Parts: sequence; structure tokens; C-alpha cells
Amino acid sequence: MSTAAAGERRPVLASLDEALAVVQDGATIGIGGAVTAGHPMALVRALARRGVRDLTVVAPVGGIEVDLLIAAGCVKTVVGAYVGMEVVAAVGPVFRRAAQSGAVEVVELDEAHALLGLRAAAQELPFLPWRGGVGTSFSQLNPTLVEFDDPVRGEPLLAIPAIELDVALIHAETADRFGNAQWAGTGNMDMQLGAAAKHVVLQVDRVVSNTEIRRFPERTFFWRETAVVHAPFGTHPYSSGSMTADEQHLRDFAAAARAGDEAVADYMNRHVLDVEDDVAYLEEIGIRRISSLLV
Amino acid sequence: MSAVRPASTDELFAILLARDLRPEDRTIMVGANMPMARAAAMLAGMTTHPDARILIGLGVQSLGGADEAPPVHPFLFDPRTLEAESLMYQSRVFDDMSRPDVFFVGGLQLDQRGNLNLFGIPDGEGGWKMRGPGGLALSTMSTHCRGYYVVMPRHDARTWVSRVSLITALGDATERERLRFPGGGIRLVLSPYGVFDFDPAGDMRVRSLHEGVDPDEVQAATGFPLNIPADVPRTVAPSEEELRILREQVDVHGTLAG
Repeated sequence: MSTAAAGERRPVLASLDEALAVVQDGATIGIGGAVTAGHPMALVRALARRGVRDLTVVAPVGGIEVDLLIAAGCVKTVVGAYVGMEVVAAVGPVFRRAAQSGAVEVVELDEAHALLGLRAAAQELPFLPWRGGVGTSFSQLNPTLVEFDDPVRGEPLLAIPAIELDVALIHAETADRFGNAQWAGTGNMDMQLGAAAKHVVLQVDRVVSNTEIRRFPERTFFWRETAVVHAPFGTHPYSSGSMTADEQHLRDFAAAARAGDEAVADYMNRHVLDVEDDVAYLEEIGIRRISSLLV
Repeated sequence: MSAVRPASTDELFAILLARDLRPEDRTIMVGANMPMARAAAMLAGMTTHPDARILIGLGVQSLGGADEAPPVHPFLFDPRTLEAESLMYQSRVFDDMSRPDVFFVGGLQLDQRGNLNLFGIPDGEGGWKMRGPGGLALSTMSTHCRGYYVVMPRHDARTWVSRVSLITALGDATERERLRFPGGGIRLVLSPYGVFDFDPAGDMRVRSLHEGVDPDEVQAATGFPLNIPADVPRTVAPSEEELRILREQVDVHGTLAG
């Protein structure tokens, strides 16, 4: 009997395109990282190239990844507390235009609401209570946030509805081929995004042995359904544990986005759409630039 | 007398913020795009607050006994901020809301009651005239922190309004009490004209005016009637020693010099 052949452990390594096949039109996807750190840009670029449509993008503290997906026409709704590039652009320029024109719907959250909503999904709860946001305009801007009197002490609280994700796109420094992931830093909200998702697509700078993972088991996170994609320097233009963000590249993108649709289209063609894969993207960026970012 | 260059507005902000921190402040949070707040936290950590933990970027710094501030990086979440005594996990911050004592914030609009708007200016038809940065963690931090400081580099009637279009951080003391917020609310508002707090009724009041600013000037730049005491004090100017420490040990690259 074939079942008697006690199985080999199943590896979950995949190519960018194989791993992203789980993302369907209309899906709700979470994207990890925060501000200028740890966004899974190789996955985002590949998704933009594939041209999926009508995504709901949950980006707790988002950046250029949201701008790129909007510019590629993939996004219907953005859910999160921020989309921007900090000192480079207080508000993501493509996102700002799309939000102002109504081209994308924005579901406003506080950063803590994003965490609570993901936790509620992970805990199979309809909502979790939170105090921050009571008495503000949050429930007016985002009617899914409901003020209620708590049944224990009668205090006014906000119900943060569960944020259930079809797919979480996450970057980690390392993983083994079985989907055990480890970060160099805090991992931002990546663990919670993974726990709220049916599928996790993980891009890593290095695929390491299970023996290597076992040296630091306290750092390991894993989820039920995970695909691991090897994408060295795949957070560019954002930082990883070993690379700073590429300020010049972000400034160039912001300038293009401010110049208008044509300049954005040029950027998208050069860096995202007319690019065969993420290695070709990195070739275009150049080893001189990449090496200047390493810490 | 040595000829010490007068303080820039950002240097003045940093020194005023550092001076106002309370002895019991132990956890100080610094967000993005606020170099003057970062400098204030560092200045306090190196002088009056050696026990303070300062959360900057991805790391937690402690500067008691340090003779030099940690380096400044272009972005808040730079990987080099991981060189720290602890890391700033977003989830752990929100798991212990009793811990953060102080944070600092700016805003698109600030009103007479101390409410702040970072969402943006609505167009009145369900859309945006101007979409702002969004919620960040401002609602949560302003609800729970022991106190927060509002730093407004712009002071004009478009920014200082009688009522904000949208509320991101509820500053109104009456409303905060009714809603049983645990945090202490706004400690001070700083602008290029002066230092402000709130009177017992919860309306904004002038606490001091900076050198050379007269009451009519600040009222003209404010979109609501300010409570201006008859004998309004002058802001105590930075001392040479405060400026020396700020420039030589904290803001060594002159980011605040403007």
C-alpha cells in the first residue's frame, strides 16, 4: 500500500508565479511590512504583473506596495491605517489620487484596529473590543467599526470586526523548505496577517536548512498553508534586516507619481510590468545600488 | 559673552518639550516625521530622564550615562534601529497600553477643544478635498498615553480652526471624561508663536508667547477666540547650556538648525 510508505515531509518551495496562483480576482489579501520596512515587494510586483483585479488590500501601515497595485489596476479597496513614504511622501501619491477621485474605496483603521481585526479573524471571533477610536470620526468614516456599551462595565467601546484574509503576502529573512519562517527584526504585523489568512505566501531572502532553523526555535513562526518563495533582496526598494530602504528610488517614484499618469506608467513598465521576473528587476536596479544599501 | 546662535523654531520646540517632561515619564514614544520630538526625547534621556526608555523606529533606546545620541537615519523603521536593548513589536505595544507615557503628534487641523484631524479635509459629498495621512495609531495612543504633546509648525487660521472637520484624536477634556478615557490628554501645544494649554472649561489658552510675539498677532493667526491671560508670560528662552547639549550631543548633524 502506498500509504504504508511513511511519507517524506512535504516541501513547500514554489516559484513566484506558482505561489501567487492562490490569489484570485476579488480576493482579500494582506500585505506585510510597515512604513518603509519589510514589505514583500517581489510578491507585489509579480502580482501586479499577473494583472489580478478587484483586490481588497489590507495594508496595516502601507507604502509603495499599495501604490504599485493601484497603478497596475488591481485594487478595489484599501484597508489600513496609513499609506505613504514617510519623509518622501506623507501620503502615497498614487493612493492619494485614487482615494480623492473615488477610484479606490478606503476602509479607515487605526494601527491597533488592524491588529485587533486580524486577531479576531485568527481567533475565529466576529470582533474584538478596543477603546482607541471611541469619540473620534472613525465610525463615521468606516461604518464597520461599531460603538457599543460593554456588557461588563458599561463603558463605551468600539467593536473591531474580524479581518479575514484569503491570502497573506509576507517577507521574512529566512525559512526552511517546510515553511518555518524567521525574522531578523520584529516582523511588524506579519505573524498576525499570516494567522488571519487561509494561505500564506512567504518570500524570503534566504532558504536555509531545517537544522539552521532549529538553532533559534524561539524565532520560528509557521502557518497551516504556506508557500515559500526564494526572493533575495526582494524587499527593494524597502528595507530588510540586512538592507536599508532605497531613498533615491522612492524619491524617483514619488516624483513620477506627482508628475502624473504617464510618468507612473513609465515607472510601472520599466520596473514592474515589462520585467520578466524579480531577478530582471534587480538587474535593472543594479548591483552597485543594491550593495550600497547593505548594512 | 559667547555669541551663541539663537535657537531655530525646531530647536526651541525640542528644548520646550524636553523641559516639560515629568519625572515619572519612563516610556517615551517617537513617531515618524518629528525630528524635534526625537531630539527632545534624546535630550531628556541624556539629561533629566536617565531611566526613560525611548521607542524610536524598531528599537528601544536607553540613554542614561550616554554622551552621544544614537545616529539619525532617513526613515523611522531603518534596520539599524534594531541595535537596541529591546525591539518595538507593534503587537506588544498594543498589548500593554498602560506602558507608553508620552508621545508627540502634529496635525492637519487643530481646534479650540484640542481635537486633531489627520484624516483629511472632506469635500462634503462623501469624498476628499484633501486626503491626509490617515489614522496611524493616533486614536489609540491619544486615548491611553499619560499625556501627549501637539507640535504645530504651522499656525494660521486654516490650520487652527474652531472645529476640526474630522476627529482623529479626541482632545476635548469634557468628552474624554464622559467617555472614560484612561489617558491624560494633551499636555501642551507648541507653535512658532507660543505655548498653549487648556483652561478648566477645556478651551485653548495661551500659556506663554515666544520672544517678539504679541497677543494680537497670535489671535489674528487663530481661527477661534484664544483665552489670552491679561499678563501673558514670555516663553523662557533656551539657555546656552541647553542649546550646547542639544547641538553638540543630540542634533549633531544640525537637522533642527533649519
